[in-house]
Amino acid sequence: MAFIIRAQNVSFCYSEGESKSPPVLKDINLQFEKGEFIGIIGHNGSGKSTLAKHFNALLLPTKGNVYVKDMDTKDAKHLWDIRQTAGLVFQNPDNQIVAAIVEEDVAFGPENLGIPPEEIRKRVEYALKAVGMWEYKDFPPHMLSGGQKQRVAIAGIIAMKPECIVLDEPTAMLDPIGRREVISTIKKLNKEEGITVILITHFMEEVVDADRVIVMDDGKVVLDGTPKEVFKEVEVLKKIGLDVPQVTELAHQLRKEGIDIPSDILTIEEMVEFICR
Amino acid sequence: MFRNITIGQYVPGDSAIHKLDPRVKIIITFIFIIAIFFINKFSGYIFAMLYLWLVIRISKIPFSYVLKGLRPVIVILLLTVSLNMFFTPGGTVLYTLGPLKITSAGLKFAVFMGLRLIFLIIGTSLLTLTTSPISLTDGIEHILKPFSKIGVPAHELAMMMTIALRFIPTLIEEAEKIMKAQMARGADFESGNIVNRARGLVPLLVPLFISAFRRADELAIAMESRCYRGGHNRTRMKKLEVHTRDYAALFITGVIVVLIVWNRSWAW
Repeated sequence: MAFIIRAQNVSFCYSEGESKSPPVLKDINLQFEKGEFIGIIGHNGSGKSTLAKHFNALLLPTKGNVYVKDMDTKDAKHLWDIRQTAGLVFQNPDNQIVAAIVEEDVAFGPENLGIPPEEIRKRVEYALKAVGMWEYKDFPPHMLSGGQKQRVAIAGIIAMKPECIVLDEPTAMLDPIGRREVISTIKKLNKEEGITVILITHFMEEVVDADRVIVMDDGKVVLDGTPKEVFKEVEVLKKIGLDVPQVTELAHQLRKEGIDIPSDILTIEEMVEFICR
Repeated sequence: MFRNITIGQYVPGDSAIHKLDPRVKIIITFIFIIAIFFINKFSGYIFAMLYLWLVIRISKIPFSYVLKGLRPVIVILLLTVSLNMFFTPGGTVLYTLGPLKITSAGLKFAVFMGLRLIFLIIGTSLLTLTTSPISLTDGIEHILKPFSKIGVPAHELAMMMTIALRFIPTLIEEAEKIMKAQMARGADFESGNIVNRARGLVPLLVPLFISAFRRADELAIAMESRCYRGGHNRTRMKKLEVHTRDYAALFITGVIVVLIVWNRSWAW
């Protein structure tokens, strides 16, 4: 299986030399397969956003290497190919929309790639339809809700036809409705368009049906596995200050009280099914 | 307080004037401005007036909107007219007010200058009334593009204008939010004299500036990760196309210019 992104022994410090800052990333080794839905969780300062910026060469590792489709991010001649392959969506939707009209903003990426106008039109239509914002193509961004703006930002990345989208806490500034819109859009893109998704978040519920969950703490990978494997480790997660999904927490409490219940229950449906059996 | 601020003075519509290619409209406006300076007698203004009247009628913009454009320059207008009126030598003295004299030549020249200014302003505001800021930016970028070889940063200018247009509403919203937050803590923006009011704006402007810089920083990173590398090798989704109506507009403007220039040699 081809790996879309590989991180090999990646360490990173924001400043080197005299005033050496403590490393933000410590010897990280990760490999992501094509088409996977990966969730990265960790509390503030765990290094997850710094890691995200390594995936499209906004930051370069101090030690080690990051490869995007076998292109080394340190190799300047691949820079634009890397950024086109791995698109990055940021936390604040307001600060990543460039143009004053939705469709022009979605066209911004393809325009930068030097794609012919007719092809850009097709891509804009495809991207806006994929995130369900086609009816809003002539709107100015400030007339949209937070969730809609974030979907426009995602469309702006999709229009560049990336193979992988890295989302850095895309729902942190949104209300619950906006959050639901964005998450279902991301899931749809992963399932229907086969785009690899790396979702960085601190909402556990958002990664419950991911293919793989990675937990970071203090610049290191603490846990790595399927959601069931990861959320089973309630004690470990609690120790580094993370919450588990409420249902999992409930199952954990019940187990402690001596009730025989599996520790890998993640959704309400699973819980209901188990209890009613 | 900020709600009623609109960007530019664009009046949306779908008239033939609205649909003209922005490049053509900008060029026509320039031709018109230059033509105005060729007028050397009152009869020449008849053609200019006819032309403007035609444009206003076709664009279906209410006349009051067009006149509104004159309001901000009324002081300059009055100043120009009165300076020319009192300080142009020659002609017969019509009226004396202390050391000031109004001469017939002065009066004529003053009215002349006044008309020239009014026509200039109406002509240019017709451009901004019928062209959205976005297509205006597109037009400017395309017109300046040939000059980028001699160092005119055409793409950069257009990009800056686009970003400004994009962020003005966002920053207005933010200013309102900060203002409410400061008012909740007892800041006073509405009373006192001008000096006090200006000082009252400090707790609004400082956070606004800091946030604007933070936004600029994040936007730059977001643009870079969307492969932005300046105007080099960049294509545009929207292509500007010159249609028949653009040629027609250029032709009519040309006729007016010829009439104005010809008018210079007339007796009256």
